Amino acid sequence: MLRFILKRLGLALITLWILSVIVFFAGQVLPGDPARAILGPLAAPQAVHALRHQLGLDQSLLSQYWNWISSFVKGDPGTSYQYQAPIGPILTAALGRSLKLAALAFVIVVPLSIFAGIVAALNVGRPVDRTISVVGLSGTTVPEFVSGIILIVVFAVGLGWLPVSALAPPGSSFLTQIKYLILPAIPLVLVLFGYIMRMARAGTVEALESDYARTATLKGLPRGVMIRRHVLRNSLLPTITVIATQTGYLIGGLVVVEVLFRYPGLGQLVAQAATNKDFPMLEAGVLTIGIVYMLVTLIADIGFSLLNPRIRLSAVE
Amino acid sequence: MRRSNSELDRLRQGRSELENHYIDELVAGNVSRRDFLRRGSTIGMSMPLLGAILAACGSGSSSSKSAAGGSSNSSGGTPTKGGTLRVAGVTPAAAVNPLTVADAGGLLMLNQTGEFLIFDSNLKLALQPMLALSWSPNNDGSVWTFKLRQGVKFHNGAAMTADDVVYTFQQLSDPKNASNALSTFTGVLTPSGVKKVDQYTVEFHLEAPNGNFPYLVSSDNYNAIIVPKGTDFAKWQKTFVGTGAFKYGSYTQNVGASFVPNPDYWGTKPLLSGTSFKFYSAQGPMILGLQGNEVDVVSQFVPAGASALLNSSSYKIIKLNSANHRELSMRNDQPPFNDPRVRQALAYSLDRAGMVSALLSGDGHVANDYPFGPRFPSTDTSVAQRAQDIAKAKQLLQAAGHTSVSATLATEIYQEIPQLAQVIKADAAKAGFNINLKIEQQSAYYGKATFGNSDWLDSTLSLVDYGDRGVPNVFLEAPLTSSGPWNAAHFKNKTYDGLVKQYVAATDLQTQKSIAGKIEQLLLNETPLIIPYWIDGLTASTPNVGGLNPTAIAQLYLNTAYKSA
Repeated sequence: MLRFILKRLGLALITLWILSVIVFFAGQVLPGDPARAILGPLAAPQAVHALRHQLGLDQSLLSQYWNWISSFVKGDPGTSYQYQAPIGPILTAALGRSLKLAALAFVIVVPLSIFAGIVAALNVGRPVDRTISVVGLSGTTVPEFVSGIILIVVFAVGLGWLPVSALAPPGSSFLTQIKYLILPAIPLVLVLFGYIMRMARAGTVEALESDYARTATLKGLPRGVMIRRHVLRNSLLPTITVIATQTGYLIGGLVVVEVLFRYPGLGQLVAQAATNKDFPMLEAGVLTIGIVYMLVTLIADIGFSLLNPRIRLSAVE
Repeated sequence: MRRSNSELDRLRQGRSELENHYIDELVAGNVSRRDFLRRGSTIGMSMPLLGAILAACGSGSSSSKSAAGGSSNSSGGTPTKGGTLRVAGVTPAAAVNPLTVADAGGLLMLNQTGEFLIFDSNLKLALQPMLALSWSPNNDGSVWTFKLRQGVKFHNGAAMTADDVVYTFQQLSDPKNASNALSTFTGVLTPSGVKKVDQYTVEFHLEAPNGNFPYLVSSDNYNAIIVPKGTDFAKWQKTFVGTGAFKYGSYTQNVGASFVPNPDYWGTKPLLSGTSFKFYSAQGPMILGLQGNEVDVVSQFVPAGASALLNSSSYKIIKLNSANHRELSMRNDQPPFNDPRVRQALAYSLDRAGMVSALLSGDGHVANDYPFGPRFPSTDTSVAQRAQDIAKAKQLLQAAGHTSVSATLATEIYQEIPQLAQVIKADAAKAGFNINLKIEQQSAYYGKATFGNSDWLDSTLSLVDYGDRGVPNVFLEAPLTSSGPWNAAHFKNKTYDGLVKQYVAATDLQTQKSIAGKIEQLLLNETPLIIPYWIDGLTASTPNVGGLNPTAIAQLYLNTAYKSA
């Protein structure tokens, strides 16, 4: 197990390094210029020239990359071009917010969708199954900005039950913060619910039809015990993989929800950095998302092996 | 005009030649009362003096009082002391650095704690003294002398003197600095032209005569807040040191900022016990924030997507006359638009009134293809407005030897511009134009913003936005003169260049107006570019908020703001 984890971490480092190279050099192809992004399109050429020099953008690409990565590996993510401030605190704050929102969405959607998937599977073809499937799929097809605006207009502006924006005042209690995050979490739950529910349903249906499930039933196990012991352990494996792959989206891909609910998270930060060609910020943001993603998939793989003793991690090596 | 001669004679005494010239113009009825206030304030006549002259000329003193009075919009319940005003603002796109700020979010932050030599009030359409008490030009407008307000303290406790003003403007005009104000000062002011005369007097020696120079050091030039001598601009966002009625409380990137009253403020102390800004990256959530009672004020918004505010009586809307506009340039140096008849044909195909009502919800004015409009007193209003005339457009195209013309229009994703491009395409089609749209992200559209590296400057047709300015100088020069850096039309006309030079140098309104008339006529004949409309500046608040003082470039002064229970 330890060997497996170390090997995965080693591969992750190489992947992250390749990611940083791709982001840096592919980003050069994007239109625009960091200095002009700061000074505006109408700035005088000599001002742009002066700022490019200050930011070190008049050096060669290779030396720019080297300057960045050499201080990055020493633990200094550098200074943001656009904010003229150290990246560390800005990034940490944004990541913290993104993690909070993602965690709340997870806590709601994972049990809910797995439960719904299992219920649907146990009632295949019946009205309950149809209802769950149709509701789940409909939710997935509604874009976040549509569901988000409806939620805000109804529950925040109309009924006044919940805040319009997601950012709780500084120093708010845990419960207050959750109150602020409920509305923005719902569109995410809607998007993910259908997807995870379908996986859980399909996995359960398949497991229910399997030989071992039939054997268990035939040897006289009560239905509840059979489902708990034999069906769920197998049916949830693909679901775990699906959940893990959604973390990238939840941590770094929520630009629309963040804008709509005035929640300055990682998604907006990275999108803004890409638009303004703020490379130190973009690199740090993308690598952070990459690290979170890799950690979660690693945890998923470990969880996978715990649920399924047939897949020993040593075999994965 | 009825004259009260003895009073007027008394007021004339000791006034300069230029000032007496304006009084003559007023007496002769050549300038309106409003224009007199506007021009008088530009050359440094004080508001009480202007009011007294108007009264002596029999022009109602009540209205002159309103112009001379403080800055506020009326109503909003009774002014109450205390309370924190919550304002929705655009997220600053970059560091809040007075030298580099170039976006609406950033300049809104600068003006919370910083003050300018002069305040250009959109509400009054006149210049008002801020950190300068008075200003006056020499005879040809090439040297301007500013007398500074005494007893002003920076938030760090230091007294504001000429040294600070000299430092500020030397930094802003230094070509070696990454100064956004260089686009204003290039060709106008260099660091060596900023001179301290005494502790409270500063002289600006200009590169060329400029009759509107006070506007360039006013709040119009949003970078020009006065900072203490020796300020490191890159670190300014840690302290926000200025001279304003509010001082730094907190600033968190992408989240918000707060400000507290400055107990040492030179002017009337603010009524509010604090202000709190929340940053938004889109207009929709800002409006929802106002509706959901998370903010009291939306600092600035555009009509597109704001019907919830504009059609509701539950909110107060402040509307400002602004020079904010769009320009559709046509490549004057390439067929088919090298023929002025083709350019005029496109101009006649557009339904401008329809655009104002559909795209701006009526919050704007039709424009006439030259950068003079209702915002500027020098506008010659006798030139007839162009209206849609499809038959004439077809005729012009035919005369130019075309039955139809195909071209690509490049533009940016910004506010209502993509929709405007669609409307232009549809209107122009009626006259025989076949326009393909290329709608891009701003960074792709502007590119390197130099000729040969920019869809903005290189496209056959190019539709771009221009923000508000207090004087039309930039609009006349950068996009239209032969050497203009933003001349997307590639318009080169020596007569025009000469007229603009004269216009910029002119210090008196009558001369400016007569040159403006010639420029307007020339631009209508040539039609190097099309200006469909002027867009009003809009600010919204809940009904219990009053005393707001916004400008059309998205500043918001809260000195007199209050929030009644």
